[in-house]
Amino acid sequence: MSLLDAAQAQLLAPRYLGWLLEGWLTTLWAALVVIVASTLLGVGFAAARTSTRSGLRRLAALYVSAFRNTPLLVQLFFWYFGAPSLLPQAAREWLNAGHRFWPSFEVLSALVGLVLYATAFVGEELRAGMRGVPATQLQAGTALGFTRAQVLRHVVLPQAIRIAVSPLLGQYMNIVKNTSLAMAVGLVELSYTARQVEAETFKTFQAFGFATFFYVVTVAALELLSARVSRRQAALPRA
Amino acid sequence: MNEAAATLQVLADNLPYLLWGRWPEGPLGGAALTLLLSAGSALASALLGLVGGVALAMASGGWRALLVLALGFLRAVPVLMLIFWTYFLLPMALGIDVPGVLSVMCALSLVGGAYLAHAVHAGVRGVPAGQWQAGLSLGFTRWGTLRHLVMPQALRMMLPSFINQWVTLIKDSSLAYIVGVGELSFVAAQVNARTMLYPSEIFVFVGAIYWLLCSGLDLGVQALLRGRQARAEAS
Amino acid sequence: MKLRPLILCGIAAFASLASLPSAWADRLDDIRKAGVLRVAAFDGNPPFGYIDATSKKQVGHDIDLATEYAKSLGVRLELVPTNPANRIPLLTSGKADVVFASFTITDERAKVVDFTTPYFLVGQQFLVKKGVLTDAEQIKDLRIGTEKGTTMEGNLRMRYPQAKVVLYDDSPFALAALRNGNVQAITNDGVKLTAQWNQLPDKANYEIPPITVSKEYLGAAVPKGETRLLESLNGWLVESEKNGRAVAIYNTWFGPNSSAPLPRLLKIGDARVASAN
Repeated sequence: MSLLDAAQAQLLAPRYLGWLLEGWLTTLWAALVVIVASTLLGVGFAAARTSTRSGLRRLAALYVSAFRNTPLLVQLFFWYFGAPSLLPQAAREWLNAGHRFWPSFEVLSALVGLVLYATAFVGEELRAGMRGVPATQLQAGTALGFTRAQVLRHVVLPQAIRIAVSPLLGQYMNIVKNTSLAMAVGLVELSYTARQVEAETFKTFQAFGFATFFYVVTVAALELLSARVSRRQAALPRA
Repeated sequence: MNEAAATLQVLADNLPYLLWGRWPEGPLGGAALTLLLSAGSALASALLGLVGGVALAMASGGWRALLVLALGFLRAVPVLMLIFWTYFLLPMALGIDVPGVLSVMCALSLVGGAYLAHAVHAGVRGVPAGQWQAGLSLGFTRWGTLRHLVMPQALRMMLPSFINQWVTLIKDSSLAYIVGVGELSFVAAQVNARTMLYPSEIFVFVGAIYWLLCSGLDLGVQALLRGRQARAEAS
Repeated sequence: MKLRPLILCGIAAFASLASLPSAWADRLDDIRKAGVLRVAAFDGNPPFGYIDATSKKQVGHDIDLATEYAKSLGVRLELVPTNPANRIPLLTSGKADVVFASFTITDERAKVVDFTTPYFLVGQQFLVKKGVLTDAEQIKDLRIGTEKGTTMEGNLRMRYPQAKVVLYDDSPFALAALRNGNVQAITNDGVKLTAQWNQLPDKANYEIPPITVSKEYLGAAVPKGETRLLESLNGWLVESEKNGRAVAIYNTWFGPNSSAPLPRLLKIGDARVASAN
């Protein structure tokens, strides 16, 4: 066998590459859903953390403690293997049956687990961003007659997000990497398909090599975005 | 009421297995192994982070670019993938056999080290330029200034990062289940498989054990820092 | 300019990978010298390999075979717990000398590892809630769970491509998914399913329909090219059949007095039928 033939035999057949690409696409859209959902929830969470009502503050602090100090894997196991046992039988059957425009239970529980975990981190970054906004902004807003919610929405939050953009993008990179854990609960994302390809072709290096490459490319893209945003921020005049 | 009692009974029966696995009839496992894994990785990643961070601060040119690339790679790869690499593929490439626990520690240390290298670098950069100038004007070399003036201050600033990394490592150790290392998450899944009737209770219970480990570490170190600060102020 | 050393390193690494098989010359000698036989076996798949709840030891049919083989070599046995997907990587990365983990012999796998003569015959079956599966025709409409790295997935994909298959990391996860209703059936070899069914607290609600999708010959596996190790293991397996040890071990786990009595379908050394798929 010539060197070229030997090299070609080492490559993955197109159909396996196709599997890996599909897995990567799943990783991408799952990460996107989690990013959007956790950012929206994170805003509410950050507001709760800085709320004037102590009960709300304490609840939010408990949430952070519970979801940041336990492993994501255990949380995913809970949502997939544990939570259903707490639901009534009828609800369980409905969730498990396939429905037209409704995700399968594997997808649903993976997303729920990933979003709740990510919100604890994204929310904290947003809170740190809010802390960076001078208190005078909030005071000025309320002095002008806006409610607290309105001031948060129109004055504080936009500035907070601008401050927190870099750490936020860092958390988004973590979200992309964390989707790999969902393979344990049946989400057909990149790591899951990498294992499948490896089990069929036994080309361990190639299967995991490609998967690693796709992950690095995705995270690198976010890194580039982060670098460009911080460069643009540095160029702007200070507010 | 009976159900609650039965649940507590199952949890109590399995607690020793969750805490230290099959030991002494087998290798150490469960929460004890989690602590061992995370402590070992924390130490190794602290060392790697120090070396990497100092290298980032002091090196220049092609070697530094290579280091930045390597660190960037380690932070871009999911920990699960890295565990696959160190467990299966590194031995294949290097021809040596690394036992499961050590290879997981290797993966965790590499990732932890990459993050800490950046924290150390940021810490060193955070020390005011005046300190460097003072050191040099006192006759220290660049390395001497780093060692005696800059690092002590930088390390104090970076301590939270080191603690955070250790807490992260306790959580990341749960991924060792994929290569059959019997730490707490793996053992929890086994217990759930054996008992079958209490999945949510078992995972909440195991989550609570992790929570105790992580929060305990966090609070313990904070208390230590506060005590040291109080003593420093008193003296 | 700085890129060239990097490229050269990369080529060197790739080239060294291509010459891997010669890395481990004779495993049998290594085993004898080290005094340890490392065997990859299941720790979550009764009765082939699982953790006994009271003794906390890894036990099972495959483990008994491994123990006796190690004794015949005069070395200590070291068990490496594994799930289905890790079996081949453990061999190719040198972490295990032998795999004794209800490993189905297939032509694809035989390209990467060396199999012994088959020591067990099973059929791929399904475990379902009573009444869910009465006819093989229904399989294609079911949500089925099984494990990554098993022949089950491939068989389903070939014969019932429309069935929705969810892959879990190990049998206990698949069983939990069945009980939760995440999947309507789990598929595995009938022997393992029987053992799992026996463990269920509400086993009266579940059944294993008499539908077999394929025949699976199980063999032990050694790294590719380790001919002396393979011959030694094969020789021992055939010998254990002749002197009755194989039957004795079988009866411990599947005999009439065991918890999962099953008629023995294969004598070690029987000429095996060419693989059905």
